[in-house]
Order: sequence, then C-alpha cells, then structure tokens
Amino acid sequence: MEASLRERVTRHALFAESIRAFFQARGYTEVDTPALSPYLIPEPAIEVFQTKYLPARGPARPMWLIPSPELWMKRLLARGSGDIYQISKSFRNCDFGGPYHNPEFRLLEWYTVGVGYLDSIQVAEDLFAHLLDRTAPRRPASELSPPFVRLSMEEAFHQYAGIDLARCQDPQVMKAEGQSRGIKMPDSPTWEEAFHIVFLTLVEPLLPREKPLVLLDYPALVPTTARRRPGTPWSERWELYVDGIEIANCYTEETDPGVLRTLVRREGERRRDCRTAHAIDPDFADLFPPGFPVCSGAALGVDRLEMVFAGEKSLKGVILFPFSVILDGQSDTHA
Amino acid sequence: MIKASDIAKGTFILINNQPHVCVEREYVNPGKGSAFVRLKLKNIKTGSVLRQTNKVQDNLEDVSVEYKEVQFLYADTENYAFMDTKTYEQFTIPIEGEEEKRDFLKDGENYQVVFWEQTPIDIKLPTKMVFTVSEAEKAERGDTVSGATKVITCETGLKVKVPLFIKQGDRILVNTETREYQERVNN
Repeated sequence: MEASLRERVTRHALFAESIRAFFQARGYTEVDTPALSPYLIPEPAIEVFQTKYLPARGPARPMWLIPSPELWMKRLLARGSGDIYQISKSFRNCDFGGPYHNPEFRLLEWYTVGVGYLDSIQVAEDLFAHLLDRTAPRRPASELSPPFVRLSMEEAFHQYAGIDLARCQDPQVMKAEGQSRGIKMPDSPTWEEAFHIVFLTLVEPLLPREKPLVLLDYPALVPTTARRRPGTPWSERWELYVDGIEIANCYTEETDPGVLRTLVRREGERRRDCRTAHAIDPDFADLFPPGFPVCSGAALGVDRLEMVFAGEKSLKGVILFPFSVILDGQSDTHA
Repeated sequence: MIKASDIAKGTFILINNQPHVCVEREYVNPGKGSAFVRLKLKNIKTGSVLRQTNKVQDNLEDVSVEYKEVQFLYADTENYAFMDTKTYEQFTIPIEGEEEKRDFLKDGENYQVVFWEQTPIDIKLPTKMVFTVSEAEKAERGDTVSGATKVITCETGLKVKVPLFIKQGDRILVNTETREYQERVNN
C-alpha cells in the first residue's frame, strides 16, 4: 500500500532530523550558507539557474542558484571552522527528467578535517546504520546495512568490461577499447568522454546491487577537486550506489593552489559547452592556507537516500511537491 | 538531425542506416566531466536491441516517418489488425515485442500508427485513455483506510490498481505509460 500523505510528511521530516542528530552527536557543526551566489565553482557539466540582483542603485548583477554548497562550505573549512555539515537546497537546471532527478533537491554535505576519503566511507556506513535504526525503512534492512561492498574502478572495468583501465590513459586507446566491444564512440572524444561512455554503457549497468556499493579510486583524468593518489593514475574519490543509483560522492579534497588553479582554468574554458555560463569564484583555488591538514568532503542526495530507504521507485514518492507536478499546475502533492 | 538531449521514448533515429525506436532513455550526469543520455534502442526491422551512450550535445540522424489515423480491428495470435480510416486499407503489425500494447487496444477505437517507407512500424498510444471497468470486487464494509486500493479489470483485459470506491461499469482515466489510475470519469 502506498504511504499516506501524513506518513510521507512525517518520514520526510524524520529523515532530515535523524541526519542532523547523527552529525551533531559526532561533533560536526551545522552551517547555513548562501543558496544565491554571485559566482560558482567551474563545473561545465552542470547547468545552473541564473537570476538577477537589483540593487537600489547601480546596474543589476547576475546571480546563480548554487548547484551545491561546496564553495561556501570550503570557505568555512579553510578558515578553521572544523568539521561541518549541512542539508542545503541545491539547484540544477536543464534536467531531462526521469525518476531520479528534480531540479531542486536536498543535498547533504559534510567535511571532516584530519581524515581522507577512506575514513568517510566509515562515516557513511555509520550514517546508514543510524538511519536504519531511526527511520524504519520499508524494505529488508539487510539490503541497506553496512558493511558496504567496496570495488575499485579498476576492478569494475576489469570485471564487467574486460578492460585494463590503468593501461587506457590515452583517449584513442579508450575509444578503441569501447569500439572493440561494440560501443558507438565519438570520432575524437576527450579521455573523460570516452571513459564515461564505456563506463555508462558497459560497467555501471552491471554493478552489484545486493548491498550498497562504494566504487572507489576514480581515474585522475576525470577532472575533479579530489586529490590524486600519489604515484598512481587514480584520484582519492568514491561514489556510493544503492540499487544501482548514485547516492553520494566523496573526495580527499585537493588543497594545493597550483593544482586547483589548473583545474579552474581548464574547467572554466569548457563552460562554453553550457547553455547558461556562470562567473567563477575568483578565490576558489586559493582558499586553503599552506599546510592545511588533509580533509575529506562528501555530498549525498538526501531525497534519493530517502527514496531508497522508503522502497520508492521515484523521487516523486518522497518529494512533497515534485517539480514536474508543480509545472503541470497541480496544487496537490503527488499522490 | 536530432540532439541527443531531445530524444525521448518513442523517438525514431537512424543507426547505421537502420531505423531504431528509443525504448528507454536515461539522463545521466556524473556531475564531473560531461552529461550523457543513455539510450536503449530497438531496431524496427530486426527487433534487436542496442544500448548506446551519447553526450547530450551529440547530433543523431532522425528518421522521417509518417503518422496515419487508423482504426483497431482485432488481434489474432500473431498480429494486430488495423484499417486506414482514409483509404479503408487493412494492414497488420506483428504482436511480438508489442505485447504490452494489447491491453490498451480497444476494438473500433482510432489510434495513430507510424509508417516508415510505407511500412507500419509503431502504434502510438495516447498518454491517457478512458476505459470501462468490466470486473471489480465490491468494497468491503470497513475498508476506509486512506489510500487503500484494489485491482480491477477493464474491457480490454487491462488490470489497474484503483481506489476502493471504483465499481463495475465505472469509466476511469488510465495513464498508458505507467498503467496507473488517474481519476474516475463522469458519464
């Protein structure tokens, strides 16, 4: 039987409350940062919402709704906030629909000082155990309980595509590997495009789904702010999948200004691919002072997490006013 | 040409000069790098299924198709039979691979059929259709739990989960994509 509206409203609130209780008990401080920003992190794959600030005097200023609170939370972290978390509304535009996307969604981010990405897996596992205890999921607890399955990207490519990822560090080699497995590849892909096309076509659909899965050590050639694992082609990054759906993304954060400047420049140039270009945070590469300790940041889709805990097949089962329903002009919550 | 981001379920595209229909489309944005559309495409001639992933900006070759208004006549064990409402010409479409559409085909009802090079290749169902409830259990006294449902059968054999107040002879609106009950329709 479907959950009644009252059950859904209560569950929605309990989920957020339980997450807050978990982080507070661990000594993280909840923060509240701007959702409206005059600049963003250069992430050319993400389309954003643009608006305008109209000051009493002077010209209008373009503003953007944040696709994640990362730029503001890192500012706090770099200035000595200590361990912080928040559940913020985040916004992503040009969404093509589907059951796992809503242009406005709840994003949990938490940052921990003095630990790396592998330590954050333990935090995510403890969070799941806490939520299983507090929220009474509508599915067998064994499907969500820790320990999570851990699989490296290198192992996943080997196991599900028969590809030695460490040897495919050139776009043409990656393209040839895809083609030889019957995948239609673009003529001259970047390495990242060729990698994602092979990953999304051959590997991701076959990832094990019996338990939550941590897919770790992504190729360093995929541009992110994750630190590179020294002496390897991998970055210190993992993604969490539940039921084959991507739920969370975590890094050991890169804090070196030189590395970050290169990333900002390269990704900034790729903004021409976006339908809505945005201004880049001028300070992003230089936020962290020299000698800043190792730190890890994780972002987790709260609505998706609630969806899988509730045994729902779509975000429409958990978001009280799904975007598509609002657009259709229906005033009632999705039933 | 058609942009990969504009491809939807039911869009026709040409791959290696073979017409394919999109049967599944999933938008995937790994967040880092590029955004993609993951497609499951069915070859209209052979029925074979192809999976491919495209960047949202990619251009694909679309297929020029023609839509005709036709009347559904009957289904036998192998084919659906239709009649062109303008020319009265009859033709069939194989049921194989299109079994799930049987529940939505009402005798004598008009539908849109897609033709490619004079060959009928797909039946387009309206997103929402009205059906008459042919079999429904009576609600038990005391079934007042909010949100409780039961399964009824419509004139085509379509089974739908509906609220308890729906009874035999009622007309209901059904979403043909999700097979979900929408609302009761007043006679």
